[in-house]
Amino acid sequence: MIFTGDLLLYAMTGLVHWWWAANLSIFGVAPNIAFMAALTAAILARPAKAMSYGFFFGVYLDLLGSNIFGAYALTYTLMAYGVYILKRHFDLIGGFSQIIAALMLSMLTMLFYQGLSLVFAKINPLELKAFLVEPFLNAALAPFVFYLFARLKKRFGIL
Amino acid sequence: MNREKDLANYAFVFFVFLSVLLLLFPSTRIAQTARILASYSLYPSLHYGAKYDHYIRNVPENFLNILKTDQENRDLKNKIKELEISVKAAQAAEAENQRLTGELGLSRNLGLKGVWARVINRNPLDWHGAFFIDKGVKAGITPNATVMGFENARLGLAGRVLEVYPDFSKVLLITNGVSSVICSAPGARFEGLAEGKGTWLLKVNYIPEGSEIAEGMELMTSPGGLLFPQGLPVGRVARVHPKESFMNFITADVAPAVSINSLKEVYVIKRELPADLYGLSEGVKK
Repeated sequence: MIFTGDLLLYAMTGLVHWWWAANLSIFGVAPNIAFMAALTAAILARPAKAMSYGFFFGVYLDLLGSNIFGAYALTYTLMAYGVYILKRHFDLIGGFSQIIAALMLSMLTMLFYQGLSLVFAKINPLELKAFLVEPFLNAALAPFVFYLFARLKKRFGIL
Repeated sequence: MNREKDLANYAFVFFVFLSVLLLLFPSTRIAQTARILASYSLYPSLHYGAKYDHYIRNVPENFLNILKTDQENRDLKNKIKELEISVKAAQAAEAENQRLTGELGLSRNLGLKGVWARVINRNPLDWHGAFFIDKGVKAGITPNATVMGFENARLGLAGRVLEVYPDFSKVLLITNGVSSVICSAPGARFEGLAEGKGTWLLKVNYIPEGSEIAEGMELMTSPGGLLFPQGLPVGRVARVHPKESFMNFITADVAPAVSINSLKEVYVIKRELPADLYGLSEGVKK
């Protein structure tokens, strides 16, 4: 049952990410819902599950993108592990700390993904406007996504 | 706690290993085709103009042809949209060309020398009062010069030049509340004073009672007026008001010969006016 809930959450998040990017992007920039879901899962779920969420959200983004396959999966897996280490030392339950974490991790993951793309495929996928705007959009929406996922966890035991 | 830590470390190593495998080993033909199908279906715009040689490796040629055809189809649709816009622009240019050709022919038949000017500005607060044209002193425009308008192969009096600047002029329209034109009907034995009312209609006053004025009658500028050359169409009588008569005169509403609000070009007649009418000291601005 819980596994089905996880699958549903994964599918719904993927659907929302796709719909938002396809219909609500402004000048080609939209918040990265999959990233926020991976981050929230990393904060809320147990580490092994958090990393599997990170990996599969990354695979989803790899599937959608036109760049190297596996780069997002690696990036978000590393991010989930990073958050697992981080939350031992910092309180990531508060809204402000989530905003800061989303902002910093957005930038770090974008730079890391850029590095992977350059190393493995010599493709430069990162646009300056995305780098300058997307982390702030992610940070602004992070507490809301966290609240939603926390409610789901409390009510249905997902995550 | 330690068990969870171990589990976390195992999961980390496992997923990193899996990711690196995905990164290092090229995808199989089927996986790559499935991936391109999924991403192309969800985000076709991603592929426009992108250098996706790396991306389309291992993808069967016939499948690529479908993608290329789809992209070509989208490009052609965009081109059709652009061409539709071009066709609209060409139609507008053709209509303008026809209008200008007609106006040019009319001005030649007019027999009065002048210059063409475009209407460049209207004041919404003074819509029936005045507008600006793009010719001024440099084009030989003088104050009080007669301004003609053209509409659908018809010409008509539009107003007179009120102020002249080096590169543009202000035209006082006949519909302005302070404008007046002495006019008469061809073959009739009366003269009246067509005055602007600040609306699209003119009002003709001082027509002697018993004059043969009737609705539909065309009024022209009269030889009695010094400002305007005689014989220029002023307008057509829309309504006669005998009950509004005062003293022994009657009045009538007159629709201007041309729709003054929709004029795009005007013809400014150059002619010698009596020196007193030039009003150079007042009309010319620097």
